[in-house]
Amino acid sequence: MKVRTSLIWAVAAVIAGFFVLLGYFIDHMVIHNLRLVLIRWAVLLAAVALFLGLFNLLSVHWSKVSEQLTGWPYSAILILAFLVTLILGLVFGPDNQVSLGLFNYIQLPIEASLLALLAVSLAVAGFRLVSRRRDLFSLVFVGTALLVLLGTGPWLTGGESSFYILVGQVRNWLVQVWASGGARGIVLGVALGAVLTGLRILLAVDRPYGD
Amino acid sequence: MISFDFLGIAVLLLFLGLLIGFAAFGHRWPMVLRPLRGFDELNTAIERAVEAGERVHLSLGTGSVIGSDSAPALAGLAMLSRIATATTMSDKPVVVTAGDGAMALLAQDTLRAAYERAKAGERFQPISGRMLGPTPFSYVASLPILISTEDVSVHLLAGSFGAEGALAADFGERQEAFVLAGTDDAQSQALLYVTAEHPLIGEEVFAGGAYLNVGPFHLASLRTQDMVRVLIVALILIGTILSTLGVNL
Repeated sequence: MKVRTSLIWAVAAVIAGFFVLLGYFIDHMVIHNLRLVLIRWAVLLAAVALFLGLFNLLSVHWSKVSEQLTGWPYSAILILAFLVTLILGLVFGPDNQVSLGLFNYIQLPIEASLLALLAVSLAVAGFRLVSRRRDLFSLVFVGTALLVLLGTGPWLTGGESSFYILVGQVRNWLVQVWASGGARGIVLGVALGAVLTGLRILLAVDRPYGD
Repeated sequence: MISFDFLGIAVLLLFLGLLIGFAAFGHRWPMVLRPLRGFDELNTAIERAVEAGERVHLSLGTGSVIGSDSAPALAGLAMLSRIATATTMSDKPVVVTAGDGAMALLAQDTLRAAYERAKAGERFQPISGRMLGPTPFSYVASLPILISTEDVSVHLLAGSFGAEGALAADFGERQEAFVLAGTDDAQSQALLYVTAEHPLIGEEVFAGGAYLNVGPFHLASLRTQDMVRVLIVALILIGTILSTLGVNL
């Protein structure tokens, strides 16, 4: 019985994936409409999954608080913030000043601060890279990054010296020829990998929805 | 009125034919995988974590299942099936996190299937697959606490990340964990190259299944990728030569 259940999931996934894929290659009203219906179902299911994910988030932190595990105060703060935001959102609506205030004055500054932290983390990681992974690629990577930084930002000595112009030209050559070519190669490889990952799921070889 | 994109169908059939062909007959031609230090050392790192009673953490990134950026996370789920089997008997089995509810559900299903395959279904805990936060930075902000409180010593990133991926990898490095990180975005890969001890460049994030021996189709995928890549490079070279000679197609 269990094998049959898993087979049903696999067949449903394969058929749905097949029709959505077919819609990219065959322009016919029936296939087009079927594809739209399937994609709309997927969006609906993703919304339900978001709700389940939030429930999962709450249950993880609730169990941490109730069992007084390490770091439980953080979990308690998360649950409190979650419930306050949820209640305010339900009472006042998402477009109200109170809900927007929560977003603009709490979430946005915190996320911006994290992004600012990224610059510091990257600088520290750059030094760590040179000290720990001392190979040719790392040195080329850091050297190129420094050259591009120098060629992009303004200099205290002004932007009229011939050396500044030379650095700018080298920077443009690196970005437009080497970096652009390398990035295209990477994107090509990623696209090939993504296509084959999708095909393995379409053939039900990989079954992330369970065996 | 019906119209067909014959070129698209031909390319799809080429991919399918090569994939199935290599999976069925690939064993006739032994395959040597290029050494990748991250994957080479991953098994040892996992064994060490299991013996030391520490945890393996797999991050599936901040992409959604229905988005175009789901592919690396789906490749991460293929790796998870093998990693979960290796940690089923540990006191602290693998924990998987995602920034998307649907991805967290898929992680739970993959974990459940791995536990049942290992005849340890009763040890499966649904909270081993978690959604940490619905936005990229809320997800990353939750990682340091998870890494420190759950005694994570193997920190794997296989999913879609933006700039926040660098912070995700850096948090693992600060905990002195084994960090293996790969994503699909070229700019984020550059950031991961700096922050992660074992960065995965280009399509290497999709090769995890082959390096971890998940199955013949994963090896066949690598062969198909290489074959199609050679074809594309040949076409680019021919196009360049023809264009240089002034031939317009």
